Amino acid sequence: MTTQKPMTPDPERDARVEQKIRKLKELYADAPELGKVALENNLPGLKQELGAATGAQNAGRIGARQGRVSELTGIFPFAKGGAKRLRGLLQLLEGNFKLADAVGTVHDMRFVFLDNDTKLLFATAYDGEWDAYIDDFATKIPDALDLLFCNAVGWPGTRSPKVKDWIVEHQIAAEAWYVADPNLTVAETRRLSRIGKAVDELLDKIG
Amino acid sequence: MSLELHDIQATVLRPRPAPYFGTHVLLRLNEAHAGRAFLRRLTPHVDSSAGWRIAANAWLDVGISYAGLEALGLPQESLQSFPEAFRVGMAARARQLGDGGVNDPKNWDKPYGTGQVHIGVSAFTDSEDKRRRVLAIARAQYEGFSGVSVLAVQDFGAQPGDLNPLGYKDGIDQPPIEGSGVEPLPGQGRAIKAGEFILGYPGEAGVPLPMPQPDVLGRNGTYVGLRKYQSRVGAFNRFLRANGRTEEERELIAAKLVGRWRSGAPLTLAPDVDNLSLGADPQRNNDFDYANDPRGRQVPLGCHIRRMNPRDTKLTRLTDVNLHRLIRRGTTYGRPYDPNALSEEDDEVPRGAIFLFMSAKAMATIEFLQQEWINDGNFVGLGRERDPIIGLQEEEATFTIPREPVRRRVHGIETFNVLRGGEYFFLPGLSALKWLGELG
Repeated sequence: MTTQKPMTPDPERDARVEQKIRKLKELYADAPELGKVALENNLPGLKQELGAATGAQNAGRIGARQGRVSELTGIFPFAKGGAKRLRGLLQLLEGNFKLADAVGTVHDMRFVFLDNDTKLLFATAYDGEWDAYIDDFATKIPDALDLLFCNAVGWPGTRSPKVKDWIVEHQIAAEAWYVADPNLTVAETRRLSRIGKAVDELLDKIG
Repeated sequence: MSLELHDIQATVLRPRPAPYFGTHVLLRLNEAHAGRAFLRRLTPHVDSSAGWRIAANAWLDVGISYAGLEALGLPQESLQSFPEAFRVGMAARARQLGDGGVNDPKNWDKPYGTGQVHIGVSAFTDSEDKRRRVLAIARAQYEGFSGVSVLAVQDFGAQPGDLNPLGYKDGIDQPPIEGSGVEPLPGQGRAIKAGEFILGYPGEAGVPLPMPQPDVLGRNGTYVGLRKYQSRVGAFNRFLRANGRTEEERELIAAKLVGRWRSGAPLTLAPDVDNLSLGADPQRNNDFDYANDPRGRQVPLGCHIRRMNPRDTKLTRLTDVNLHRLIRRGTTYGRPYDPNALSEEDDEVPRGAIFLFMSAKAMATIEFLQQEWINDGNFVGLGRERDPIIGLQEEEATFTIPREPVRRRVHGIETFNVLRGGEYFFLPGLSALKWLGELG
């Protein structure tokens, strides 16, 4: 987040903040004692955040976004034998996801097996909007997504025109979404790290 | 697979004539019965793509908006089979298209974005005389009939040298379509599956794209995104003068912004000076790739043509460039480009281009282009830099010109082309037009 400047006087904003604080106190009225104390102790800091402009945006049809970075979270029931296959695949990959590198927009992915291996929780942070590029996956790396998601019930296949709707049906929008550097895309991060390296090399030559 | 050319409207495959003359007419249907009668009268005069080689012919095309399909009484089930973006219309998709600020639909010229535009009829031809004759044929089908109102009439073309409003030759690079019979020109790349452009055929993923129902309505149709731009010629010339001391310097910057000299000669083949004969030769003026120019020292990574068709440029995101192409028919209107126009009044002289962008998923493609390739630079590692020609610029916008030893970054880029209108149309096949006329 950007560093916060001292706030200029703004009675409307102050009234809004006061109202939000009253609401918070109502919400926490039945919280455990520890929670109530925490709220009181946090109030000076919270006042800054509650008065700031909204940072929340939407990512495409569903999902949250901050700046250029979006989140996709979904729960996908496993097909018969799906959990065993996917776990085996993920273990054999040993943390290597070369195709995700090639996609160039994926910040992270997590695969969490829920409820006795009956459901997959899949969560990822990525740049922009995924549905703009799903057609590209279908022609460039159709098998990559199929290899992972054939293990979910009803996966229509990357090439299917129904794939966007299917993903949206399983998606659960995050209630809140925080990104440290909302303007740093994967491409920008890679570019900056290249520049940093080049600058260091240059300085090595001079110094 | 060969295409049913006799059923596909002429504009889809027939190239813009040179020189070109034409007219766009926007119509409103006041009543379903009258609307269908008009369509029945007009359809016999709508040409097919079968005669695409005879570009000297005059032809009419007809597009129908979602509101138009409603007005014609298309059954609800059929209406719902159209994609969401088409149903709500271009103005309602302003967020997805990045059409804010000066491009906001609230600033558009009437009747664009009002929901009143039901039918768009365009006449294309190669002479003023033929333009009048073919337009008279169209007029005879709606003038004097109640139930059809004329909302707007815009003549286009007739520009000296067919130059666009900023003074460049345009419309050079078009996607090659498999099975169309249109002979590919050198440099166009491999033919793209017809289903990407025309409904009812397999696309690049091997399956047909979703099609409006019933089949007779969807088959051989395509979608058109119309976007009307006002060119701020004064601002463009002021920018060139602020950044180039001599005529040569200014023309080089002008070429760097586009990737081609004003003649159409590509910077890849003519890096230092314009080459008129190269620009005029369709066998040579598009015959290049970026294999020897990965960093954009000849053709800047952020210039207009490299954004609109990156060819073999290495992109930061996994992208299939063949999925984001559009058939383009640019139609320039108003006064020709004037290199000496420098005032702010010159920015408002009616002068610009109405673009017709066609494909089987034109709405999705236009949104993709607006978000990714026009109003952003991330896909080529240029951060938030935007297309210098058709981008909506933010304050203090820049344009990067890669050079040895260090790049030059030009400041003062403004929104040189302001959006003043837009509509989505469905361009049905000829049998679908007949079917629509006989509804009810």
